[in-house]
Amino acid sequence: MPHVLFFSRNRSTSVEHIDESSVKACCRLQDSLMDAFVEILVKLPDLELAEVRPEVYRSDRAILPDAIESLRKAIGIRIGPGLVKIMKGLVGDRENLGELLNMLDECCQGVILSFTKDALAKAPEDRRKAKEYYAQLVKENVRLYDSCIAFAPDSPLVEGIKPPVT
Amino acid sequence: MLTFMRNKVVGIERRDEDTLQAYGVLEDDIYAVELDVSIGLSDMVIRSIEGRFKRWTTPECPKAIPVLQQAVGFCALEEGFSQKVHKSIGRKGCRHFANLLVECCATAEQAANLIRGGKPKKIPAESKSSGGRTQKKAERHSEKSLGKKTEAHAEDRGGVLIDLHVHTYPASPCSVARVEDVILEAKRIGLDGVCLTDHNYIWDKARVDELRRKHDFLILRGNEITTDQGDMLVFGLERPIQGIIKLDELRILVSEAEGFIIAAHPFRGFLLFGSGQLGLTPEKAMERPLFKKVEGVEVLNSKVTEKENRFAAEVAKGTGLAGTGGSDAHQVSDVGLYATRFFSKIRNEKELIDALRGGRYEAVAFKKQTDML
Repeated sequence: MPHVLFFSRNRSTSVEHIDESSVKACCRLQDSLMDAFVEILVKLPDLELAEVRPEVYRSDRAILPDAIESLRKAIGIRIGPGLVKIMKGLVGDRENLGELLNMLDECCQGVILSFTKDALAKAPEDRRKAKEYYAQLVKENVRLYDSCIAFAPDSPLVEGIKPPVT
Repeated sequence: MLTFMRNKVVGIERRDEDTLQAYGVLEDDIYAVELDVSIGLSDMVIRSIEGRFKRWTTPECPKAIPVLQQAVGFCALEEGFSQKVHKSIGRKGCRHFANLLVECCATAEQAANLIRGGKPKKIPAESKSSGGRTQKKAERHSEKSLGKKTEAHAEDRGGVLIDLHVHTYPASPCSVARVEDVILEAKRIGLDGVCLTDHNYIWDKARVDELRRKHDFLILRGNEITTDQGDMLVFGLERPIQGIIKLDELRILVSEAEGFIIAAHPFRGFLLFGSGQLGLTPEKAMERPLFKKVEGVEVLNSKVTEKENRFAAEVAKGTGLAGTGGSDAHQVSDVGLYATRFFSKIRNEKELIDALRGGRYEAVAFKKQTDML
């Protein structure tokens, strides 16, 4: 078979810290079947969703206007652990809403990663010092331990650190 | 100026009659990863995966590449596929690989639907076990023997020590601790009681009474309910709550049931940054509407950082709400890490609620060493 793409998808998520108390994030999805956009406004310091603006420009999937409107039920919730579960619970998990919910989640993840990036950027270049830096992060936050392979129990980055639960 | 950007590109090629080949790229400010995933068209099962890091952060990250093989054999149509990938590839390997793998499979699924003429292929969901999620009429049982024992302990140690936040399996699928093991551990370490607070699950009262008698130990029932304002520990509510409920609605139900509601781990934050970086102060946090709707705040919880516990304690103090402690145990060894010391007799759920209302208790680091108290 010729190596021609049958289906393609681009998803772009960006985050902008507007001022000291507001962060804007947007996700644009374009694929062979759909073209949609979700923008959120997040208020600091609570990371509360203050605005959710979904737009669907093109879709082969049936997306009803009330489904788009229901995404706005996420307004008022705070970005944090369990976000997807809360969003699905409040907004609903209808099949024709799934992709917009994913886009809302991508926006929220982008906001979290925009802050995470700052913490990672502080890691020293020197390998030994970097290890100490990451080890300190694990000591300060029990949830980081065993959260991915870098902080797995046998990783040198957590060497000598007592597992959070004994 | 943008502070963060992530681009994901996935292309799907129909390699042969029954093979979809996905090539995906994820590039953001932190990582750049690539995946080649081969997926069966007829069954949507992952047949092979190859992954590459282009940019990464820690020296350990590249070890995530072999972990990708754990997803070979996963079916993209399976219920809970995304969670399964995040749990196996994300937690055991790299979250960015997990994110891209889910994207590749979701895109392949769309392509497969197109090939099938727009009809999504469905795999029947496995029948869910009800797991005893039932509400039964409360029955009165004698607690004489238990009462005497609890009182004796209370006198010895200046109060009744109860772990107010415990999850058991299978009532909480995220837990690995079986209730019998939780009870044995609680007795072994010297707690006076445990409160079973499984997620959106109401323990059958007769079953709990049976466990009490069998182990001659104080076992109480609560419930951890997810609301739009976070998780709440609820006591005295017999009505089952499924899914997510608005805190306002839960507050009404709890009031009607004459129960008690506590904000569980209210400042559980993120992996690499805390509320401090966001500019959240205890004073600002006290303004959150949720603190006007709850009656207590969990100020000691073993699944959050000590900073987060201290922050919760400051907010509890500032709002005049009582602070409780609970391990949030999900495995047996967690039981009793934190607990609540009550300065009154607790022999049953009514006395627990009365005690919580009375406010004569304190959060304690029972098993966990901490500099907080």
